[in-house]
Amino acid sequence: MRFIARYAKELHNSFEIVTIYDEKVERELISKENPKIKTLAKRYPSAIWFERKISDDLGIKIEDAFDKRPLVHQERFPRDIHPLRKDFKQIQIQESDYLPYKYEEVGGDSVFQVAVGPIHAGIIEPGHFQFSQAGEEILHLEVRHFYKNRAIEKMLEGKTLLEAKPIIERISANESIAYQICYADIYLQATKQKLPLSLKKYHALLLEIERITHHLTDLGFIANDAGFAAALSFGSKLAEDARRQMQKLTKHRFGFSAVDFKNRDIDTDSIMQWLKSLKKDIDFFEDWIVDIPSLWDRFDTTGVLSLKKALKYSCVGVVARASGMAVDRRIESFYLEHGFVMASELSGDVGARFKIRIQEIKNSIVMIDNFLQKSVEALELNQLNDGEYHSFCESSIGELFMAIDIKDGLIDRFFVRDPSFINWQALHLMMRSDIIADFPLINKSCDLSYAGNDL
Amino acid sequence: MIKFWNKRLKLGLLTENIELEDEIKELEKEIKDRVKKSFAGSLAIRMVDSGSCNACEAECNALSNPYYNLERLGIYFVASPRHADVMLLSGLMSFNMTPHVKDAYLQIPEPKWVITLGDCPAMQAPFDKTYAINAPANNYLKITHHISGCPPTPLEIMRGFLEFLRKI
Ligand code: SF4
Repeated sequence: MRFIARYAKELHNSFEIVTIYDEKVERELISKENPKIKTLAKRYPSAIWFERKISDDLGIKIEDAFDKRPLVHQERFPRDIHPLRKDFKQIQIQESDYLPYKYEEVGGDSVFQVAVGPIHAGIIEPGHFQFSQAGEEILHLEVRHFYKNRAIEKMLEGKTLLEAKPIIERISANESIAYQICYADIYLQATKQKLPLSLKKYHALLLEIERITHHLTDLGFIANDAGFAAALSFGSKLAEDARRQMQKLTKHRFGFSAVDFKNRDIDTDSIMQWLKSLKKDIDFFEDWIVDIPSLWDRFDTTGVLSLKKALKYSCVGVVARASGMAVDRRIESFYLEHGFVMASELSGDVGARFKIRIQEIKNSIVMIDNFLQKSVEALELNQLNDGEYHSFCESSIGELFMAIDIKDGLIDRFFVRDPSFINWQALHLMMRSDIIADFPLINKSCDLSYAGNDL
Repeated sequence: MIKFWNKRLKLGLLTENIELEDEIKELEKEIKDRVKKSFAGSLAIRMVDSGSCNACEAECNALSNPYYNLERLGIYFVASPRHADVMLLSGLMSFNMTPHVKDAYLQIPEPKWVITLGDCPAMQAPFDKTYAINAPANNYLKITHHISGCPPTPLEIMRGFLEFLRKI
């Protein structure tokens, strides 16, 4: 059974802890008097961030956890504030005294610590990486995040679904379409409607363009981090072409507000032309890049995540598929009928993640071709019904999970688990036999979202 | 590699100026003079994300792709605030990032300027104020220029830089 997420919500007289697995959903009610839970981290290590977050958000203690440090609340965050409690209504807080965070550190003779971040050298989102080093070799890495936390969950409480839309599509822009698809799915669950096939195709088309853009950017940046800048020029040129397709289709380069319930009269010829030239370019790129031994010298056997560990940490997305895990939310009849083939590699290293991206771009080209259609069908929406709704979508990073509780027509609890939230927790496992100079390369090969993780 | 050079020669130069062309031409001398006088020939920018959705970063990265090729104007993104003339600030000034943004600003040698990028730091993006958001950024830093948009396109960012240069 694969662990997916764990979160909590405040009910009238109790807290409810919801645990999502691929095969079932578990719910547990706990009392508000001295609330505490037992950890799942012994069986599912990546449960620990969820539990530390629950602890910060609602003041629920994790009884038997090995790690009870705050997660989202950093050094200057006021103590004893639990913002997801319903009675917490402040919109401004004051910095409190600086309470140092105790990093996981390996000690020993001539072992030293290297602190990287939160602000990094490139144009990249903020986060902190704490290395324990023996010379160049990495002994341990702790990934520490939530610098970007904007309190999205709290922000959305009390809003209508319509009011929430512009915020949800801006949680993590490189997965905006995926977030919008989950949102649209939940919307239709709440109106008890089904998405017509033509609209499903349109949404899937946008999702695959988003994936192509993301993967192309990565193909350039990964190679660039191994010192091969020509690939960055090539990849970023193709990524810009893809972004301009998105702009043409949706009037926005990231497709903000593009996923709704009406089809557009799209210029299929121009998309087909783009697909044709992209196919040629990606074939050329692959042919060219596999021929550069010094590059593969850096890619192969670097940043290995074994299948066993990927399974143990419940990894998702490109990272999981590069380690031989068969997880992809597109394994379902709609996608399979439109040409979806799951990408898979076994070696779990930077090279495998690189190759997965090339395979997926090629497969997306095939699927987009099958999604193209001339339709202007639109869907009239019914009344919303209160309830608790869950949705999944395979974003360019991996499986996205979203849950929305609607009460009296308003959002009572919004929860989302970005694929990055799981995969970040597995990053340190990839560093075991590498040197610190390989870190940027390994990190980029996973290309996780900070914004989606931090919320 | 032969394949690559063949392709490279066939493809030629991709950099395009589109609408900006005339404007850039007009401004080129002015920019060059200003950049030369104030920034010894190169304007160094340190980008800091204080809680964005990552689209504003993606558009800044796009500035270096072959179509926009920003560096030809003498404008560079640098790795450390200590190498920078300008802080380019995106995001909502999250509670957790605020002390680090202030720190980065202190590290920039004088004279220094702040440009805000995108609607977020001006608190004009579609987010509501929460306890975790400290934007607008001008409560914390003196902002010289603001580039609006959600996100501003690469062309809008380029135009924004030109406007900033005119201002100072
Ligand atoms: S301004 Fe808009 S695009 Fe830029 S970070 Fe904010 S929400 Fe994202």
